Amino acid sequence: MSQRTILVADDESHILNVVSLKLRNAGFKVLTANNGQEAYDIATAEHPDLLITDFHMPQLSGIELCKKLKESAATAGIPAIMLTARGYNLEPGDTEQSGINQLISKPFSPRQLLTAVNDVLGIAA
Amino acid sequence: MKVRSFPIFIVCLLMAGLASTASSAGVVWRSHPDAQAMIVAGVVLFMLAAVAGLLAVTVLRSNCRDAAKRLVDQIADGAVERIPVKQSEIRPLANAINDLVDYSNQKVADANLRFKELEIQLKVAHAERQHAEAIIKSISDAVLVTDRFDELVLANESAAKALQFKTEQPRRTPVDQVLSDAKVVDLIREMRQSGSINGRRVVEHTTAVSGVDRTYKVTLSCVADEARSAESNEPAGVVCVLHDMTREKEIAQMKNDFVSHVSHELRTPLASIRAYVEMLVDGEATDEKTRRDFYEIIQSESNRLGRLIDNILSISRIESGLVKVNKQPISLSVVMKDAIEVIAPQAKTKNISIEERVPPAFYQTLADRDMLYQALLNLMSNSVKYTPEGGRLIIETVVDESAKKVVAKITDNGVGIPAKDLPMLFGKFFRVESNNKMASGTGLGLSLVKHIVEGVHQGRVFVTSEEGKGSTFGFELPLV
Repeated sequence: MSQRTILVADDESHILNVVSLKLRNAGFKVLTANNGQEAYDIATAEHPDLLITDFHMPQLSGIELCKKLKESAATAGIPAIMLTARGYNLEPGDTEQSGINQLISKPFSPRQLLTAVNDVLGIAA
Repeated sequence: MKVRSFPIFIVCLLMAGLASTASSAGVVWRSHPDAQAMIVAGVVLFMLAAVAGLLAVTVLRSNCRDAAKRLVDQIADGAVERIPVKQSEIRPLANAINDLVDYSNQKVADANLRFKELEIQLKVAHAERQHAEAIIKSISDAVLVTDRFDELVLANESAAKALQFKTEQPRRTPVDQVLSDAKVVDLIREMRQSGSINGRRVVEHTTAVSGVDRTYKVTLSCVADEARSAESNEPAGVVCVLHDMTREKEIAQMKNDFVSHVSHELRTPLASIRAYVEMLVDGEATDEKTRRDFYEIIQSESNRLGRLIDNILSISRIESGLVKVNKQPISLSVVMKDAIEVIAPQAKTKNISIEERVPPAFYQTLADRDMLYQALLNLMSNSVKYTPEGGRLIIETVVDESAKKVVAKITDNGVGIPAKDLPMLFGKFFRVESNNKMASGTGLGLSLVKHIVEGVHQGRVFVTSEEGKGSTFGFELPLV
């Protein structure tokens, strides 16, 4: 099986680095973005297999990013996992409409995140 | 028969009697001469009796008239006395009238007593009404009282202000003519129609007052009608109280937002700490350099968490008035020099020069030294953080003797702040998005400065900035 590509978007550099390292160690190719707009540009250019995004980001929030990706046929199929410190502020409809497959609350466990990634990508542990 | 025609009647009777007697006497006169003397005597006697009778009737009539006049006069004076009973002829009549007088006098006395009682009750009711009105008018909540016809009986100033009408309305004006707020009118009407004497209805209602939306808790209750409640359920009226909840709702929303922000801000460094610790535990950091980087991140994020908690607690204590403020006359210049000593090494690591324009510590301000030191340190630290390598800081105090104030100013030639962000700069958890990457922060430092300067010391914070050129942050405090 070819190496899967995961795009990670977070404006907190420490979170971005730790998630990237965990995924690279697990054998994934990782692309990173510091804000929503940058993530959108990379996603439309690279068509990653999965998007892991923070909820609150400058320029484009995680929800806006996911909704925008759903609008284009080329990126609509990209599954998404959202990391958020504000999970309780999300309406149930938000995640469904934005095509978010899983919601993980901060603080999170990188192990738990990896399990979620494997679930969404259908990779047996 | 009228009393005045009575003597005429008597005279007619006498004439008829006389005519009849004369007719009979004429027969006897002619047939029996001895009887002539007797007849003459009889006629004379009869005439005398008639005159006597007439006199008696006249006297009796006069007495009756006098008695009646006296009675009328006494009634007019309001004090009816008994008729003296002298003449035996009118005794029964006088007794009957006297009984009537006694009865009437008793009734008048009872009525007077009742009148006095009612007068006292009216005074008490009037006093109670004034008392109730004074209470209602002194209540800060808006109070409206309507009667069973939905007419406004009473309203206080707060009601007039909240519902925008004039309190000098004529009493008992229909409430829909006084209030422009149709919702409140409907609520009053519905409550009165419900007839729920012991019930209460509470409704939340938002209305625009002078163009600003205000939210009220409207409590409606019926006034029981003691006189009518036995036969009908109809209430005597409705009491409508409007409690302004706008500020309470704003505070609740602010608390909610604050908790939400605090939660988010605390979770962010905690997320880093937890993730990096787990990576170390799982052996994901394969070399010593990576492990050292992880330890440093954990340490810096722990420090960030500590600062966040300290700042949140400081702001919360100042806002709630729990913080102990130790104000004493101090020199702003002295505190400023202390803060510069602490910030200078940080500036040196970025090769930022500091120009001090701090005059001798002659002027004093009444302030809490530690709080002022904290405020100055926060401003200086911000300037160092958002000024690129090799930049410049000017730290100065300016005394304005005419305005009796001292001003602290920190000017940098750093990245500056977009104009749109300036109004929000001293708000809680606000961070300039475009400068986020340049340095980490809690978004509470400037908010704490504002609390210390304006909340505790009655001073004023200020900022001027130009994107790409730099900023000037500062505050002014009153001189002692």
